[in-house]
Amino acid sequence: MWSVLSSEWIKWRKSPIVWLIFVSPALCTLIGLIESEDGGSNQWIQLLQMMGVMHALLLLPLLTGVFAAAVCRLEHAGGGWKQLLALPVSRSAVFIGKFISVMLLLLATQVVFLADLLLVGTIKGYTDPIQWSGLLFSMIGSWLACMPLAALQMGVSVGWASFAAPLAINAIFTLPNIMIANSERFAPYYPWDYPVLLMLSQQIADSADDFQLPMKTLYTVMSVSFILFFMGGHTYFRRKSI
Amino acid sequence: MMLLQLLAVERLKIRRKGIWPLIAAGGFGVVLLEAANYAVRYDYLIQQSADDPWGSMLHDIHFMAVPSLMMGLTIIASMLAGVEHATNSWKQTLALPLSRLSVYAAKFLLLIGLMLAACTMLAVGSIVLGLCLSLGTDIPYAELLRISYLPMLAALPIGAVQLWLSVSLANQAIPLTVGILGTVVSMFGATLQDYIPYKWPMLINHWNEPLISAALGLAVGLVIYLAGSVHFVRKDVK
Repeated sequence: MWSVLSSEWIKWRKSPIVWLIFVSPALCTLIGLIESEDGGSNQWIQLLQMMGVMHALLLLPLLTGVFAAAVCRLEHAGGGWKQLLALPVSRSAVFIGKFISVMLLLLATQVVFLADLLLVGTIKGYTDPIQWSGLLFSMIGSWLACMPLAALQMGVSVGWASFAAPLAINAIFTLPNIMIANSERFAPYYPWDYPVLLMLSQQIADSADDFQLPMKTLYTVMSVSFILFFMGGHTYFRRKSI
Repeated sequence: MMLLQLLAVERLKIRRKGIWPLIAAGGFGVVLLEAANYAVRYDYLIQQSADDPWGSMLHDIHFMAVPSLMMGLTIIASMLAGVEHATNSWKQTLALPLSRLSVYAAKFLLLIGLMLAACTMLAVGSIVLGLCLSLGTDIPYAELLRISYLPMLAALPIGAVQLWLSVSLANQAIPLTVGILGTVVSMFGATLQDYIPYKWPMLINHWNEPLISAALGLAVGLVIYLAGSVHFVRKDVK
């Protein structure tokens, strides 16, 4: 497993993919710097809300698709799958290794985002204490919420040689977020909404109206959809003729 | 004449790549989403928009259509260029007795044509939805045409940039990421300055005249298209 991961790393360490982890945090930093907080709750949590909506509503789910397609690019170009699978590695290890790579790229994105958030707060001279538990819950929660999405996109990306086709699937599921995220009734059942729901879980918990995130439903839908998508992609890849 | 043949060739290349389902998902998908919105809270929405039911439905549809238009331009531009990238066949395409200008023009025209098809689906779907919701038969055709086609004209610069990037860079991760960023920026675009193209598809400007956004888009889009095709003509292909 370790050797699969290190070979993945060698494949993309010099490619522009690595730079993509800075893209969303950079845009959100701009928003964080431009917009001003309206007072009230903790400044850091307000900043998290401003930057987080932009980051997690569309960018994070869509970038998950880009990462998944990107880690399969070299294999799709020029018969790389044959070469890779002729090596003494199991197909299962290759699939899991690529999935872990996607999750690591997303984790790196989250780390950069958190660093940028702290930087923006420092530049703006926030005096409120940092609520570490809240910030970290949002960061880790929205990262974990990408797992089902990454699993589905991995499956679609190994299946389709085209780079854009998996992205199209991704966009078709992600764009309805804009509308579904507003619905208290349906948002907790739509996995593509989870990154933003968990990112903003602090504000939702603090907000005046009595809407609470049904955490149990969230965890159930997240695990079930992850297992379904992952097993689907994994089985498909193991049986696929290359 | 050559351009027509080239268009037919381009169309052949993208056959069975799932482009039409994607176009339909973009055009009708937005309408379906708005239908779901009404299905969930029909009474509330009808009550909210009692004085202008058509206008408020079309306004919602326009808001949803902009991100899907932007993602559509991004993905389809990448698909059109991806045919040659995926099979390393730029040399082959360009070795044919065709001018590079017309190869690029064919791809650009096909991109616009496909998106216009999506816009038409959006317009037809909106009428059907409005009639199904019994918003009355007093359909505001001018407003309908405005929200269906003007965003496409206003987004022409984005289409031209996406095609340019998709054709010049072999790694499609970059154009797609640029397109995704653009989509997000345009969604939050109302606060941007008027001269930023990513604001135009929302058709908001301080003159309160949607046609200005569309005209700016058309003009700037053509300039970027020309720049892209000049670059393509001089570019070395792998």
